[in-house]
Amino acid sequence: MTKRLLRIFGPLILAAILVFAVLAMPMKLGFSHVSAERERQAAVSLSPNVLRGKHIKQEALKDGYVPFFGSSEWSRIDPMHPSVLAKKYHRSYRPFLLGARGSQSLTQYFVMQNIQNELRNKKAVFVISPQWFVKDGTRKDAFGFYYSQLQTTEWLTHFRRDAIDRYAAKRLLQMPVAKSDHFIYAALQRVAAGKKLTDFQRFYLQTRKNMLTQEDQFFSGIDLPSQNLNRVNQQAKQLPTHYSYSALDSLGGRLGKAATNDNHFQISNKFYHQGLEKELKTGHLKNFQKHLSYTESPEFADFQLCLDQFARLNTNVLFIIPPVNARWQKYTGLSATMLKQFDQKIHYQLQSQGFNNIVDLSDKGNVPYFMTDTIHLGWRGWLAVDRRVNPFLSKQQPQPHYTMNDKFYSTTWQQLPPSQLAQYQQTNK
Amino acid sequence: MLSFEPYGNPTYFALLGVALLPLMIGLLYGKRSRLYETLISIFFLVLTFGGPKWTQGVALIVYVLYEVALTWGYAVYRKQKNSGPVFYLLVILAIIPLTLVKVTPAVENGQGSLIGFMGISYLTFRAVQTIMETRDGSLKNYQVMTFLQFMLFFPTISSGPIDRYRRFEHDYRTVPDREKYLGMVQKGIRYIFVGFLYKFIIAYYLGTLLMPKLLLMAMHSRGGFLDLSWPVLGYMYAWSADLYFDFAGYSLFAVGTSYIMGIETPMNFKQPWRSPNIKDFWNRWHITLSFWFRDFIYMRLVFWFMKHKVFKSPTTTANVTYIINMLVMGFWHGVTWYYIAYGLFHGCALVINDAWLRYKKKHRESIPHNWLTQGFAIFLTANLVCFSFLLFSGLFNTLWFK
Repeated sequence: MTKRLLRIFGPLILAAILVFAVLAMPMKLGFSHVSAERERQAAVSLSPNVLRGKHIKQEALKDGYVPFFGSSEWSRIDPMHPSVLAKKYHRSYRPFLLGARGSQSLTQYFVMQNIQNELRNKKAVFVISPQWFVKDGTRKDAFGFYYSQLQTTEWLTHFRRDAIDRYAAKRLLQMPVAKSDHFIYAALQRVAAGKKLTDFQRFYLQTRKNMLTQEDQFFSGIDLPSQNLNRVNQQAKQLPTHYSYSALDSLGGRLGKAATNDNHFQISNKFYHQGLEKELKTGHLKNFQKHLSYTESPEFADFQLCLDQFARLNTNVLFIIPPVNARWQKYTGLSATMLKQFDQKIHYQLQSQGFNNIVDLSDKGNVPYFMTDTIHLGWRGWLAVDRRVNPFLSKQQPQPHYTMNDKFYSTTWQQLPPSQLAQYQQTNK
Repeated sequence: MLSFEPYGNPTYFALLGVALLPLMIGLLYGKRSRLYETLISIFFLVLTFGGPKWTQGVALIVYVLYEVALTWGYAVYRKQKNSGPVFYLLVILAIIPLTLVKVTPAVENGQGSLIGFMGISYLTFRAVQTIMETRDGSLKNYQVMTFLQFMLFFPTISSGPIDRYRRFEHDYRTVPDREKYLGMVQKGIRYIFVGFLYKFIIAYYLGTLLMPKLLLMAMHSRGGFLDLSWPVLGYMYAWSADLYFDFAGYSLFAVGTSYIMGIETPMNFKQPWRSPNIKDFWNRWHITLSFWFRDFIYMRLVFWFMKHKVFKSPTTTANVTYIINMLVMGFWHGVTWYYIAYGLFHGCALVINDAWLRYKKKHRESIPHNWLTQGFAIFLTANLVCFSFLLFSGLFNTLWFK
């Protein structure tokens, strides 16, 4: 019987041991090289697998790609999109687009966790969408969609017991997706309480991290979407051979005009007909954003996580604040005063801590063909971004000096009404 | 609270392995512990229907108690009397919950019914069959505990295969001898591993990676005749292959697990893509379902029609019954136009297939039969089936009305 049993279960046991051994192995296997073509593809793919993963990002960032953190604007690929301009004019950098629809500061904080060495003393670009700063901050389902156990375990194996990581743990515990792994959940509770992890937790997290790292190496490159790379290549063909700002600016105007000619919002026809036109007919959208505010939100503290992470790694970051399409804004009743107040609040959070590279485009919402639709940069908007991004990344920059302050995690700051901002600045000097 | 799709992830299989180990050792030494089997059944049922899905768990318990009351009551009644109307009433009562669950989404804008739970269809098949065999007199010693084990046998609870009470009871009451049991374990392990290949590699590729792309392409290529395009054709094959590998993979898990528990649950698939005609296809595809329909709907209707002399010719009787049989199957999948169209399509295909077989029999000399005609028959059958699955997939609903 023993012989027969061995014949039945031997291969099974052997297979289980082999799989576990390969996955839990702490070192990398030899065949982990990422080809240049795959890096090009991944850099513009906006694939959630790439965002959640590690290996491809890490390899690309080592090869001269620069992380461009943001969200849905990256998918607006027209000839002036940063990826297209960098390719066409053979810039010394290539953008690695990180983020897609629904990804906000908290997601980006965890994205940074496993590319720390690639961020340390390097440069990055970060698009701050005012729309993130709504009353409830990041949507729980969107955060769950981009959540990565790999990034969480990696963070948990190097977290510090300070206000920053305590806040991150508390915030993560508020997300339903944190419960997806019972052991990670228990570890987060200890971090949030300012305690050390137990020996078992450290062992578990280390093993789990190894397994997820191997999985990421084996599988995250499978089935990378290639349509965005094709779009980048297509769009580049429309550009003149030699860079000239004035030529590009007028080209942007022409392309924008042709692409937005069937509605009076200067919203791209394609976007307009994808349901927006139907919605407009109901009339519900008139003044529907009248009472919307971006000035009081937990997102301010989540954003502080990103700032602290940049400061810890001494990353030099160029921040971009995009505007809202002015015609659209007028129609939906979104308050210009409120947008201005948001701008002041975020400026204070950035500048008081030493983040002074800010491309503030918030007053450009009425420049024709600056936006491609309601809230996303297009033709001339991208070009304005490029005017600042290119010198920032191509030329040597002075060392940043960051002076971080944990007060930005407080509820007082998150919920500070704009009317009290001036007074807050005075008392917190 | 942990909660799992049956056979959904590695943890489930790990738990399954640990739970089955003592049972396996017992069976190797000729012992079957009812208590232990009941305990692990409850454990896996709680994993499947507990936690966030607890409402389904409650629905399951109420439903099973209801079906126990019906089958038990009827078994007691049947010992004394045998009235037709009582029997019909019992069958109707037994299928009422399933009917409600299936009709609710159609009248409530896609909202699921409160009394629904994963696997209600398969439990209903088992209960109805128990009542019918009790009426026939072929099932004489109904026992509540055995019936409960039969209904709640956890490896097959969510999607079959649909076992038969008497067959299950026989396995359940006996212990296979060591030689036989070792053979069953060997088969069971192999089934589970082939299932891994089918469900987690092939079906994953088809369903998660390939199909969304084809769907997107098909949606972008709308505008032609009936919105048809090459991507629609690709989607048809991908969807059919995905359905097969996903369901056959699941069935292999269910049968493999049963074998390790010493129960020879019948197989659900037998190389369906090599069927030379539709009739043969239904003998190889989702076998326990099509045989259930054959035994408890088709055959019964044919007998009823013949007994009451509804149709003159036996051919008409068979044809009408084919259509009814497949329409019922269509409705069972759900009350939407495409499921019903799918049922009707297969009903008609069976009628035509029968007519052709009769014609072929009559003209045996003049119709060639060789590897070429056989190959053509297999090709034609597979494509017809794939087309029916395209109907079934609801893609036309998405293409035309979304």
